[in-house]
Amino acid sequence: MTDVPILKIEHLGHSYGKFQVIDDISLAIPPGELTALIGPNGAGKTTFYNVVSGRFPPRRGKVFFAGREITGKPAHKIVSLGLLRSFQITNIFPELSVRENVLIPLLLQQRRGYTFLRPLKKEKDLYRKADDVLSKIGILDAADQPAGELAYGDKRLVEMAIVLARRPKLVLLDEPTAGMNPEETERMIRLIKELAERFGTTFFLTEHDMKVVFSIAKRIFVLYQGGLLATGTPEEIRANPQVREAYLGGGTIQC
Amino acid sequence: MKNHSGRPKTVIFFIFLIGFLIGCPFFLPTYWTFIFGEILIMALFAMSFNLLLGYSGLLSFGQAGFFGVGAYVVALLILKGWQSLTLIMLAGTISAALAAAVIGYLCVRRDEIYFAMITLGFGMMLFTIAHNWIELTGGSDGLPLAVIPALKLPGFELSLFDPRIMYLFILFVVLAGIFFLWRLVRSPFGLILTAARENKERLAFVGADVRLVRLTAFTIAGGLAGLSGALFCLFNSMATPGFMHWSYSARPILMTILGGSGVFLGPAFGAVVFFLLEQVITNVTDNWMIFLGAILIPVVIFFPQGILGTLVKHFDR
Repeated sequence: MTDVPILKIEHLGHSYGKFQVIDDISLAIPPGELTALIGPNGAGKTTFYNVVSGRFPPRRGKVFFAGREITGKPAHKIVSLGLLRSFQITNIFPELSVRENVLIPLLLQQRRGYTFLRPLKKEKDLYRKADDVLSKIGILDAADQPAGELAYGDKRLVEMAIVLARRPKLVLLDEPTAGMNPEETERMIRLIKELAERFGTTFFLTEHDMKVVFSIAKRIFVLYQGGLLATGTPEEIRANPQVREAYLGGGTIQC
Repeated sequence: MKNHSGRPKTVIFFIFLIGFLIGCPFFLPTYWTFIFGEILIMALFAMSFNLLLGYSGLLSFGQAGFFGVGAYVVALLILKGWQSLTLIMLAGTISAALAAAVIGYLCVRRDEIYFAMITLGFGMMLFTIAHNWIELTGGSDGLPLAVIPALKLPGFELSLFDPRIMYLFILFVVLAGIFFLWRLVRSPFGLILTAARENKERLAFVGADVRLVRLTAFTIAGGLAGLSGALFCLFNSMATPGFMHWSYSARPILMTILGGSGVFLGPAFGAVVFFLLEQVITNVTDNWMIFLGAILIPVVIFFPQGILGTLVKHFDR
């Protein structure tokens, strides 16, 4: 089983009008490997995530998830196979309570979303599961608060809870620590590491903060001007002259 | 959309309210019994509309179309000689739900103003059918009913031409409809609906087919609009194209904004305010809509949560 990559991309390309945003990207990620996608602003990271996760279909190329082709499938179908994502700009249900935020993915995962006349309150097992997820993430104390009223870092954790509630096999994290203070960043890194170890969830994240990338990624892909520039372990990437050139005009990558 | 059911005070209040509503025809003059009957029907109509606006975040401008489908199906079946009131009402409701499923399929892909305009367009199409297909619908004259099947209860029959019986029948059906809605918004599907209103993208990315969620809500709302239309047809002993006109679609919108889309009973409260204003003001002048407008504007500006919404928030503190 371990031979089948959890995510395999073949010659993926996307353009807005004539502007080629990503071009001929091919890569494979083995299950369980904490992988990062880095690249300067405008390299096409978010577009890459959008076409992989089904926000819109790619112009060219194919996407395989755990051996199954998912190219161009609608987001909700891709999600039900076990591929979830977070967004660069926190994406939660702000007026609903934190607990309800997590109940939604749980209901959908259990295919109980179309239960019409039975009170939600009777789904006691789901409430238990929701509280489990919240305590794992460390925001159980805020369960009854409207999610939109939490502090910034906690809102990002709510989004993590939403994503993890579905017990995903692969999670795409689009800049999970963007806008976080050092303390919150530290907490997020610990959380991702712990989840990867404890549940075998594969994380594939983009990140601006090189410290974060080099401290958790086992393997790094470098995206530059829409194409894949380099692949390797953190050490290899740090030593790669092309990457240095692209990133810092010849300087060193600090971390 | 707060939960008040757990509080004994609220329970007692609703028991008194329902008791009052049952008692109405026995101490009110017949004229007011009629007014209350109409308010109840419009309350259900507005609440079905609010399943879309308040719970799903969809502004439908074509709900009168489904209201009218319910009314016309009832009129046609009675003219055909159907005798069972239950079956007639059921057929009206199901036909409206089917119409909503078909039209909704074409509408739910769009959002906001586009959704509103498409539903408006389809509502007007239904109106035009009712208005111009004279052989079936009687055109602008509508379909007047000379007879209405009696309400058959075990052991005896009641004539709906008795205003009190008609009122109690309406009250029963409307309360059943409201109870259905109440259960619906508290169900798992109710939470998914709210999630679709809050953030449809996030909902899609936790695995829900947002279009299907919306279509389901649209179909249910259409069915309940049809049920209120069916009642209205019996109440007026006729169905007319006026029921389907776009200005009739504006009524539940106005009522919902008056009462508040964020509280379960907001639209019903809005219906009460709407009709009482009409009654009070038409005693003075025929141009009552001017006064309705004069009340609506400050409500929208100063109390965007509606009258009941603002009251509930105030007393919650």
